[in-house]
Amino acid sequence: MFISYNWLKEITPSQLSPQELREHLTMVGLAIDAVEHHDHDAVLDVEVPSNRPDCLSHVGIAREVAVIERKQVNLPPIGAFKTEGRAADLTSVEIKDVDLCPRYAARLVRGVKIGPSPEWLAKRLETIGQRPINNVADITNYVLHELGQPLHAFDFHKLAGPKIVVRRAAAGEKLKTLDGVERVLTSDMLVIADADRPVALAGIMGGEDSEISTATTDVLIESAYFDPNSVRRTARQLGMDTEASRRFERGADRDGVLRAQERCVQLICELAGGVATDWLDVYPQPFVSRTVKFRPQRVPELTSVSVAPAEIVRIVAGLGFELVNETAEKLHLKVPSWRVDVEQEEDLVEEVARHTGYDKIGSELPPATASGEYQPSEMKQRLLRRALNAFGFDEAISFSFTSKQTDDQPELKNPIIEEAAYMRATLLPGLLDSLRHNLNHGIRDVRLFEIGRVFAPASAGELPHEKLALGIVATGGAIEANKAQAERELDFFDVKGALETAVDWMSLNPLSFTPTAASHLRVGQSARIKLSDGTEIGTIGRLAETVAANYKFRYPIYVLELDLDALLSAPVRTVQYRSLPRYPSVVRDISLLVNRTIALDDLLNAVKEKQVADFRGVKLVGTFEGGNIPSSKRSVTLRLEYRSDDRTLRDEEVEERHAQLTSSLLDTFAAQQR
Amino acid sequence: MTESQTEQTPIQQVQTEGKALEQAFERFVRFSDPAAVAELDLETTIALQRELAEVRTSRLGKKSAWATKKKLIGRVAPSERPVVGQLVQEIEDKILTMADTIELNLKAHIDQERTARESIDVTLPGRRPAYGHRHPITIVRERIEDIFVALGYVIEDGREIETDFYNFTALNIPDNHPARGEADTFYTTDGFALRSQTSTVQIHAMQRRGVPIRMIAPGRVFRRDTPDPTHNPMFFQVEGLCVDRGITMAHLKGTVTEMLRRMFGADIVTRFRPSYFPFTEPSAEFDFSCFKCKGAGCRICKNSGWIELGGSGMVHPNVLRTVGVDPQVYSGFAFGFGIDRMCALMYELDDIRLLFENDVRFLEQFE
Repeated sequence: MFISYNWLKEITPSQLSPQELREHLTMVGLAIDAVEHHDHDAVLDVEVPSNRPDCLSHVGIAREVAVIERKQVNLPPIGAFKTEGRAADLTSVEIKDVDLCPRYAARLVRGVKIGPSPEWLAKRLETIGQRPINNVADITNYVLHELGQPLHAFDFHKLAGPKIVVRRAAAGEKLKTLDGVERVLTSDMLVIADADRPVALAGIMGGEDSEISTATTDVLIESAYFDPNSVRRTARQLGMDTEASRRFERGADRDGVLRAQERCVQLICELAGGVATDWLDVYPQPFVSRTVKFRPQRVPELTSVSVAPAEIVRIVAGLGFELVNETAEKLHLKVPSWRVDVEQEEDLVEEVARHTGYDKIGSELPPATASGEYQPSEMKQRLLRRALNAFGFDEAISFSFTSKQTDDQPELKNPIIEEAAYMRATLLPGLLDSLRHNLNHGIRDVRLFEIGRVFAPASAGELPHEKLALGIVATGGAIEANKAQAERELDFFDVKGALETAVDWMSLNPLSFTPTAASHLRVGQSARIKLSDGTEIGTIGRLAETVAANYKFRYPIYVLELDLDALLSAPVRTVQYRSLPRYPSVVRDISLLVNRTIALDDLLNAVKEKQVADFRGVKLVGTFEGGNIPSSKRSVTLRLEYRSDDRTLRDEEVEERHAQLTSSLLDTFAAQQR
Repeated sequence: MTESQTEQTPIQQVQTEGKALEQAFERFVRFSDPAAVAELDLETTIALQRELAEVRTSRLGKKSAWATKKKLIGRVAPSERPVVGQLVQEIEDKILTMADTIELNLKAHIDQERTARESIDVTLPGRRPAYGHRHPITIVRERIEDIFVALGYVIEDGREIETDFYNFTALNIPDNHPARGEADTFYTTDGFALRSQTSTVQIHAMQRRGVPIRMIAPGRVFRRDTPDPTHNPMFFQVEGLCVDRGITMAHLKGTVTEMLRRMFGADIVTRFRPSYFPFTEPSAEFDFSCFKCKGAGCRICKNSGWIELGGSGMVHPNVLRTVGVDPQVYSGFAFGFGIDRMCALMYELDDIRLLFENDVRFLEQFE
């Protein structure tokens, strides 16, 4: 909203400079985006909050300035003008849809001469960014910016009937608006019609057919109140945003209708000549002002600042509230018709507080009453992030909406990015897109992880399921810090190792990994991830060639995704001390030539299950493939530890136990010893 | 033994052998001077050390010619013994002293050379995988959480897809408010909203925990903004809420100011301006003095000295009533601001779209 400094000073005798006004208005809640200087005038660009349509006018801003400066508001005086004849003899007004138009007033001015506006008027409009058109149109625009009431002038002789009918449009009915666009209307749009057809889009824009032209002699001035929701809906549907619609959709002043019309008619008679009729005012259910009780003690209760009762009264009276009744504890205040935002006591506390000054409010911490608390899983999540960081993974954040990934994703009704119309069901596509982005910029070593929600539809009418997921993608070399070249290529075990470390850091029991087939993972390099209780929580593996091809990835990509909620709620590992061994252990290595299909876990489990006496543990030494070993086989070397708690084991004893285990393994796995 | 030797007196014999000894050690003599040793390389020095030891054994050892001569002392006339004995001692002392000195010199040089050869370049990189980085949003979120936990707040989170009730109605957002429109808020085809502010968590938290309450809720929110350097259709917000008996706007100002001081420095000052939000009354927007230029005016504060950060106010009585709290007994404040905006300020980001592109060159710049 542009406010002319000179115009404002005609309404209230402000002694503040434009710059001072900027500061003061900002501190009562009317932020000024800019102050522009024109010749002999300054323009303030006021950012009016959406609940204050009354401030979309010079009088509205003047009211605030007057309270700031303890001055009066002088409404623009309406001078004398010639009246003759009764409007009712010339036309009629009928409101068919009172729900959308509670009030409509029409008044005629006959014998006007359409021409350019006098210079002062044209200039004033130009100063606030309005384009002068002709004297009558400019006057309606002038009064709108002065009082905030949108007005419309019809060429009276272009109205069939001649009459005014306020009604909903018929579906498919057409209206060519002043901007030259032919609008096809729907049955929930309110129009102003004459006897035959729509002549204006109510509260938004007039029609071209009844527009004022140089041939116009008689004008009908409309001043009305339209339902905010109806105006907003229609304007949105038609993609329109006008000075009028902006005010009606926030809420105009129902009781200001006639005064604005009178002011407009007076200016027309004065500047374009002509004689006015009286007015037709259809207002079936007059507006009843709210009365709000206001206990002054609520001001210190909510703001900590005490304001003297006299000062409270000065502020609210200055803003137009009428003191209906006053007791020691409370005031009864009648809310002015233009203040559509004030409904209850707290609204009045704000009026008093902002005009007292928020800077008068102290600053202190509330007394502490309870201890702070993180989200239950926050510390584990922090350890997870840091463990993955330690292994070289950067944290990514991707949009929650993606392209269609599965048939089971909540869909957006109104996406903003065309190809991102679904809520993500998995983190991997977002991460793979990010990988692609990096590769496109010539970065070949990329390790990313993301922690975020994924979504799945629930049964009809229920909110979709949301759960926290962890996703990882990795490609390129195992880079060391401050080194230019990777020592080796990353593989499955880098990703697995990072996750296992993170799980250790989080004090959770170790995960297990079992071979699996998954459509997005390469056969033979993919595993299910399970909690120690066997619950499956995700998959890890090398991206399948078919998927990689879609992204044009030429190098191996390793991916992981798991249900992080499940991981975070897994029980924390308990630590219990075991006494240190008193006798030495003996270790024996065994190398087994086994089929490649036999997993290390199978061997380890078999060793443990055998429960050989004094067996204490087994660890992998290494595996070996190739060389002179047949391609269907591999060699696995294990180190077994034997120890007794009550004596030092003799060599023969160890040999006997080890032979037992060895023969059992050879039998079970059809293995050969190497 | 040669004929001539048998004819020599014992003293002569000793003197002759003494000469031979000196000759045997002669090529080592110059290494009595450490400067001469210093010129040798490691291998030569080791060879010399070995040769010296060999010469010492062969010339001075038990089976050496010298050892044989030493036995002469026992065979000379008692009157000559002291003279012969002294001569033997003199010769041996001289040779041994010299050999010891050389040996020490060689050994010192070998130690020095070895140490030099095994020295390492301590400026080579330590052995470790390249370190990854937290996302800047996470860095800022964790700092904010730490501050508020220290102030006695609980951290809360709620759903990202919400019902109309939690996203709007319970927050006193009227049915006709533009924020409810499909132009501003994302909706699923089932009619649920992607939460447009984390204020939704206020309602869930008060319903679950009751009052008094002090909580903050950081989280993802969604608004239908076309991406540009200062907008994203998804961003992160922190909502704060404190409801108790006797809570006032002074507590709001104190809390927000305390947070900003802990984030940006103890000299930060704040400014609260009246504003409008449906869920607070009175409402205020808050600015803080520019941490970069200290109010003098710079690019970050667009030369105003102030940085606009968020919205706040006293919890609207309708919101309190919705969760069954009597606004005549309890009052509270709420505030909200963008984590993305704070990131943009802290790191002087000129394009917040970078936050969700996951470009490694961007991510690597943070802790």
